[in-house]
Amino acid sequence: MKTKTTAKVFGAAFLTMALAAGTVTVHAEEEQYTIGIEQFAEHGSLDNCRKGFLEGLKEEGIEEGKNLTVDYKNAASDMGTCGQISDSFVSDKVDLAVGIATPSAQSLYNAAMDTDIPVIYTAVTDPLAAELVDEDGNPVGEVTGTSDKLPVKQQLEMIREILPDAKTIGILYTTSEANSESSIKEYEALAGDYGFTIETAGITTTADISLAAQSLLEKVDCLTNLTDNTVVASLPTILEMANEQNIPVFGSEIEQVKIGCLAAEGLDYIELGKQTGKMAAKVLKGEAKASELPYETIEEAALYINESVAENLGIEIPEDMTSSAAEVFDEITEYTVEE
Amino acid sequence: MDFVITIVEQGLIYGILALGVYITYKILDFPDLTTDGSFPLGAAVTAALITKGANPYLTLLAAFAAGALAGVCTGLIHVKGKVRDLLSGIIMMTALWTINLRIAGTSNVPLFSKETIFKNSFLENLIPESIQSYTTLIVVIILTVITKLILDFYMNSRSGFLLRAVGDNDKLVTALAKDEGNMKILGLAIANGLIALSGCIFCQEERVFEISMGTGAVVIGLASVIIGTSLFRGFTFMKATAAVILGSILYKACTAIAMRNFEPQDMKFITAALFLIVLLISMERKKKVKIDA
Repeated sequence: MKTKTTAKVFGAAFLTMALAAGTVTVHAEEEQYTIGIEQFAEHGSLDNCRKGFLEGLKEEGIEEGKNLTVDYKNAASDMGTCGQISDSFVSDKVDLAVGIATPSAQSLYNAAMDTDIPVIYTAVTDPLAAELVDEDGNPVGEVTGTSDKLPVKQQLEMIREILPDAKTIGILYTTSEANSESSIKEYEALAGDYGFTIETAGITTTADISLAAQSLLEKVDCLTNLTDNTVVASLPTILEMANEQNIPVFGSEIEQVKIGCLAAEGLDYIELGKQTGKMAAKVLKGEAKASELPYETIEEAALYINESVAENLGIEIPEDMTSSAAEVFDEITEYTVEE
Repeated sequence: MDFVITIVEQGLIYGILALGVYITYKILDFPDLTTDGSFPLGAAVTAALITKGANPYLTLLAAFAAGALAGVCTGLIHVKGKVRDLLSGIIMMTALWTINLRIAGTSNVPLFSKETIFKNSFLENLIPESIQSYTTLIVVIILTVITKLILDFYMNSRSGFLLRAVGDNDKLVTALAKDEGNMKILGLAIANGLIALSGCIFCQEERVFEISMGTGAVVIGLASVIIGTSLFRGFTFMKATAAVILGSILYKACTAIAMRNFEPQDMKFITAALFLIVLLISMERKKKVKIDA
């Protein structure tokens, strides 16, 4: 008998939840835009993408709280959650869906494929490998955005200039991140031109970081970072281990240099986000269809240097580099996750 | 309406996974963690075959076979190697991460431009224009119902009867001069075959293979089984297989609703809480009855 009662209680609880869901409605008035932002994981670079994206929209007159409603969801690095978020955006009929990082972009594109909801992505390293563009670089549907492809050539040039005697560069990456794999391929293809060899260590979870970093540090003269989500999230651990052995770590974007990487020929994700926001504004205002806008990359890499790190490592940065740098930091910022 | 359709689609796809978990957890009384690896294994096999131009319907069988093989391995580790059930599953789950990466070639394989079981020229000709937008739902319903019927048919066969006996009364199996270990291996093979089949369908529905897609699969499966079997216990006319599939749809509905009202960051906690609540109201009481008896 008791089980029947509990079943009833459970059923009632479920019904209550269902009713609660019904109360969530989205209002779309005249010239009001509703967008859904799906971010794959929580970390500095992707947060900056989102921040920059909203700034980019604002510069085009679309401002959150005024004529823009933003439904922001984070998938916490889970594919299943990605799918559910994407489906909920589609059933809410948002005016535009934004995918930050490859899995979110793919998931949104898949969910929105048979609808008229355009998808804008950012922080997708290789849109071709992700099948978001065709071989000629044109969008495969109502989907376009920006790529955060690393300026590998410039990065190698910079490392050579700062460390004239270095032979081996170590790269730590997550085997589950397709972005990292394509970046490593590019590093391996170009390293020889600058007299470097590349040593890689693949990890599957954050728990592997310490061991993998330790074994890698024994074999290399310096480390360089990709935009690997898991590795970047554990950067403070890696920096601490590298510092103990006086091995320089090069970053891939501004945030990493702020928190203790020696230097980076990298991306500014806020700028990348802004560029994406402007593309989204065009689509929202109906000036262009997503399928008519080819995907964009940041053309010019910017050089970031942290002099405080250089001092700690006893490395002299050539004068002409510091003068041409986009930004030179003279302190190491504590690592924080920004909301 | 779209919201409901999505839930039913996802619930049915994961319902096949839940059928697999039902076999290991309820019938064999085996907490099988292979699930987290065999679900993406089905997807990896599917992605690899589809990229090579194979017929998408063929992937259903191939994924089932690959999953069954993984189940056999877990069974051999447990039965022949005498490794504890939980550990056998963990070993296979860990090994499958690498195997899945090797099969798929990379951690992310998109299938947007390929024909899948949901989108191909054959279906487009077959299904009338007016209900074309329901293609996915129709295909998922057909696949899940067929899988359920085949499983029901098997469960009523001699072999299926012995399988059901393993968890309840292993002495009976031995008395019938059947090796209990072999029945366990068979059960694990069928279970993981079903789980991989579910991964195969999920991968084609999402049109992407992603190495991390199996994370938490076992939790989804267990929750569906527990919700289904405890909520529909009173409905004697309903087969356990149907209850489990309904449980999966209910579970997906709960998570979808929770997702609308809570932050995605809280989802794992909500999942755990939901899981615990259902366990507390169903399983513990059953155990107690056993002790009293």
